[in-house]
Amino acid sequence: MKTIDVVVSPVGATRVETNGFTGDQCRQASAFLEQALGLAQNERLKADFYKTEVRDQQQARQSS
Amino acid sequence: MSHVVQIKTQVRDAAAVRAGCSRLGLDAPVEGEVKLFSETVNGLAVRLKDWRYPVVFDLTTGESKFDNYQGRWGRQGRLDEFLQAYAVEKTKIEARRKGYSVAEHRLADGSIKVSLTVGGAS
Repeated sequence: MKTIDVVVSPVGATRVETNGFTGDQCRQASAFLEQALGLAQNERLKADFYKTEVRDQQQARQSS
Repeated sequence: MSHVVQIKTQVRDAAAVRAGCSRLGLDAPVEGEVKLFSETVNGLAVRLKDWRYPVVFDLTTGESKFDNYQGRWGRQGRLDEFLQAYAVEKTKIEARRKGYSVAEHRLADGSIKVSLTVGGAS
């Protein structure tokens, strides 16, 4: 399941976290929120970013 | 893949400001010229609870102007509370526009989590 979690702190700062996307979809999926909410300050890639990328590449090689 | 982005909230959407006011039980925001203690500013004015002067948002720049006399004419916590309400309502407006389902939960530390399910019905 693809989800986007937005956690708004008691002082109004926001953290946007994507889950379950493949490839570069997560950035595309959350861009509308990041633009709507304000100024993006930093981005951190989660561990499964790398795992998913490797698996996608292997699948691409097998299917080609 | 997944990623996490930290965002500094900027107030740029009048509809979300209205929704934030409604959420906190505040009067509806008023657009126009507002006199603070020592200056007159233009924008969308929100009257926070127990604040002597309103907070005025410039929706073009996302900046806010206010004079709370370093907390003596209004606690910073009230403004923080409004920014939280605004960000939550703005997230919900944008999610519904995309047709995503939305669920909201309050966390133990006072944060509010809005979960969007991509592809779900609103």
